[in-house]
Amino acid sequence: MKFIIPPAIRRIAPCSEAPASEHTAPEAPASTLKILLLLVCFLVASTLPASAQQSVLEREAARVEVLRKISPSIVCVMDPKGQGGGSGVLISADGFAISNYHVTDGSGSFMKCGLSDGKLYDAVIVGIDPTGDIALIQLQGRTDFSFATPGDSDQVQVGQEVMALGNPFLLASDFTPTVTYGIVSGVRRYQYPANTFLEYTDCIQIDASINPGNSGGPLFDIEGRWIGINGRASFEKRGRVNSGAAYAISVNQIQKFIGHLKCGLIVDHGIAEFTVETSATGEVKVDQVSALSEAYRRGVRPGAQVLSFAGRLLTSANDFQNVLGIFPEGTRVPMTWRDRDGLHESTIRLRPLHAFRKAPELPEERRQRPPQDPEKQDGEDVKPKDVADEVPASLKSLFVAREGFCNYHFNEIQQKRLMTALRERVATLGDPTPAWIISFVSVEPGVRLTGELTIAASAVGMNLNNRPFLQSTVDPPPEEESPLLPGLLVSMNQLRRLLSGNSAAFTELSAAGQTFHLPLKKNVDVLLTREGVRTCRWYFEEGSALPVGVDVEYAQGVDEARLLFAGWTDHSGAVFPNRIGLISGVQEQLHWLDITNVTVNKPTVVEKKTNP
Amino acid sequence: MKLNQVHFEKRSLVQGVAGAGLSGAKEAPGVRAVALQPRPPQNSSSHSGLSRVPLLSVLLTLILSLASLSEQCPAAPDTPQATTDVLNAPQKVIVKLFGAGAGSLDSYGTGTLVSPEGHVITVWNHLVSTGFLTAVTSDGRKFGVDVVGTSAAHDLALLKLKSEPGDTFPCIDLSKAIDLEPGAPVYAYSNMFHVATGNEPVSVVHGVIAAKIPLEATQGRWKFPLKSPVWLVDAITNNSGAAGGLLTDSKGAPVGLIGREIRHAASRTWVNYAVPLTTLKPVIETLLSGKKLETPSKDASASVAMISDQELTSRFGLTMLPNVIERTPAWIDSVVKDSIAAKSGLQRGDLIVLVDDAIITSVTDFQQQLATFHTGDRVSLTINREQQLLPVELLIP
Repeated sequence: MKFIIPPAIRRIAPCSEAPASEHTAPEAPASTLKILLLLVCFLVASTLPASAQQSVLEREAARVEVLRKISPSIVCVMDPKGQGGGSGVLISADGFAISNYHVTDGSGSFMKCGLSDGKLYDAVIVGIDPTGDIALIQLQGRTDFSFATPGDSDQVQVGQEVMALGNPFLLASDFTPTVTYGIVSGVRRYQYPANTFLEYTDCIQIDASINPGNSGGPLFDIEGRWIGINGRASFEKRGRVNSGAAYAISVNQIQKFIGHLKCGLIVDHGIAEFTVETSATGEVKVDQVSALSEAYRRGVRPGAQVLSFAGRLLTSANDFQNVLGIFPEGTRVPMTWRDRDGLHESTIRLRPLHAFRKAPELPEERRQRPPQDPEKQDGEDVKPKDVADEVPASLKSLFVAREGFCNYHFNEIQQKRLMTALRERVATLGDPTPAWIISFVSVEPGVRLTGELTIAASAVGMNLNNRPFLQSTVDPPPEEESPLLPGLLVSMNQLRRLLSGNSAAFTELSAAGQTFHLPLKKNVDVLLTREGVRTCRWYFEEGSALPVGVDVEYAQGVDEARLLFAGWTDHSGAVFPNRIGLISGVQEQLHWLDITNVTVNKPTVVEKKTNP
Repeated sequence: MKLNQVHFEKRSLVQGVAGAGLSGAKEAPGVRAVALQPRPPQNSSSHSGLSRVPLLSVLLTLILSLASLSEQCPAAPDTPQATTDVLNAPQKVIVKLFGAGAGSLDSYGTGTLVSPEGHVITVWNHLVSTGFLTAVTSDGRKFGVDVVGTSAAHDLALLKLKSEPGDTFPCIDLSKAIDLEPGAPVYAYSNMFHVATGNEPVSVVHGVIAAKIPLEATQGRWKFPLKSPVWLVDAITNNSGAAGGLLTDSKGAPVGLIGREIRHAASRTWVNYAVPLTTLKPVIETLLSGKKLETPSKDASASVAMISDQELTSRFGLTMLPNVIERTPAWIDSVVKDSIAAKSGLQRGDLIVLVDDAIITSVTDFQQQLATFHTGDRVSLTINREQQLLPVELLIP
């Protein structure tokens, strides 16, 4: 307000007394000129200020309207005792809301949330991204919550007007959000973890007032599009109050994590397993590479110049840190680099950064303390008591503790969604014990392959161009894979397990969020399975009961098998894709195998019968 | 105009908005009024307003020629698009400074380029005094820095980037520096909090000129030296590392040099101020010409306020070790029972090491430092008691 209003008011006075000395109109006679000037001054003074004032009023009215629309989506997040906390924003009608991890960290598994309607709602923790300082909670009791509409934070520019909404200092006892206004002071900022694991990458710097209690609250552009979550500010000599430099986590980063958070996960960020430095000439060069990394196997070596990473051109090491930080662990990202041999392009999977097995604790000073009026004295913190007994049973049922998860209840929901559809699809197959015998050909240029796969419960065999391969299904050694189709046997073993529809076929099965699949270039749901040392990421397109692909890690330091499945077809007693695509690591080439025949038979290659 | 140098993008020149007062922004006076009213809301409404009146074509010409009118008026609020365009150009004249710092003294700062040869102005603070400065220009290039000249009276230092011969830099055009009226919107560009590194654009903060007044402010014993008025801004522009940044008007014309982090002498509140470039212009030109500035000897020799021995005992309840040698350490000789000093926990034999962040080298030093505070201030002392450093809070009586 202070920025907008003064110009409109002040415009009138100086304009009417504008000095005539600055004008230049030499052709007009002096006396006429004076009269004309007076006239012009009058005209300018009477028209421009009015129009300027009009535009200010119009913009003000528009802003008021925008705020009226977005305010109901603002959440005041408090611990179960209703003690202080922070802010949040609703993102869907069924009550999912985003806040900061450092806000919910102090509240436990359940919290009380106030909305601008003045009402208190129960909420449960769903998923957390400790590194990114993001938490997903779900408000209960309604299915028609107002929610914010995300904008594209990559389009945010310095100077753009922004509004931060939240509940600083818990000013509003009726939960009406406080609005602060400012401009974008910087974009793509990188803020170091600073003694914790909270790392702000690619964030939006603003000069709107951000104070204790604003944490977790949304940042909007002037049209009311949600562009970030305010979570951090530069504090120094002046104490923990607004300093004109605050940072918002970009909504585009948050969107990449929401699918994971909805699975009740402790979502991790990723590492590339190599480090970069900015050279004196402004190039981003690889400093060190782990010899066990996928990047190393692709040929990335120290000294190589990284041109782009995850789709973003790099001009500094900070650029690299920024883009690395916006993806969840496990995401496969493209990169291009240049070395003596020329230009290279490949993809690598981001490995876990912290691999938290439980919610990590923040240092006391980093937690969201109950916001206090800065004028009050310190020492008024009220310690929340154990409130487990006060949580209603209906709310308690929404939380399941399990190691490695934030709230396993929500993982079960997502697992169920994927596995129920799959089970229904394979239910008609009947007896799961017989072997499947699959004939395939490959007519890719250069290589002609003809083969027959036998997939049984206890072993997987393959006859490839008259050369036999046989692999036990119990801890199969990777050297039993065909060098022409590495990882195919172990993948078929894992596929058979999945198609049994039996979760017990794996030692672990969980929903693992959503990812942008390469090379499918589609958003897919991820189902993660483990069996021994083998980890599979099964990819499901929306509405498809059977996976569109799988990535199978089966040995350390060896490329994962990456398979695509196309044209799932029912056969008598089996379901199998018409084509299997294999992505071979080195060149990232897609190699299709055409399935020519599928029969279900008594085991032929494998003679030993399975004893259940 | 000798500083004029074209470095900004063509686009911003054509628009006549970005970098209006920055070098290279050529503006024909007659065209400028139009260029300054380019945004759809203002544009359409002013047009319709004018067309309602039957005007002679002569008048229209005159309106166009009255460029100065709109310059005198605080601008109509910018649309977001106008703002983002305007904000790009001044970024190029800001350099990030790095040097030595310790404790609350930052090891980073900001400078503003004032010549195509690479002259940079900044505040004459510890960063400049300690030397070993490096500068990073907006394109990410790193340079060594020489201190060309300083003016204590203006709290100003002129630096020069150690560039290759023939290197040219974008810079502000001091001849385009303007004065504003209170209420005028401004933008502040600085390397505050060292948020940006390398080629990343520095932080921009928006605000309004709150007042133009002489500033009475202190930083420990140091008093802000400039007697002429400075701009006070209603936004938090003077943050860590912001000193030496640039204040512009809403169209990018240079207005002021962002000052230190400093408290007002009377209110003890943090002051956000910038020194008008119109005030600094002659000083910078003198320094650029290689001339030395006369040090105002009066200011330098002005007596420094201090709390007398007597006052120290009567007000604070403290008696220090007699000041017999030139630098007698600040040892407490005795503490009056139930006095302010006693309530703070000070004891006989305590050595006062720090007052807030200032190192205390002698009894005199301590008495002078204490005199910079006002009744009601809370001062944090660090004392050495039996080889242990202890914090003590003293409420100034």
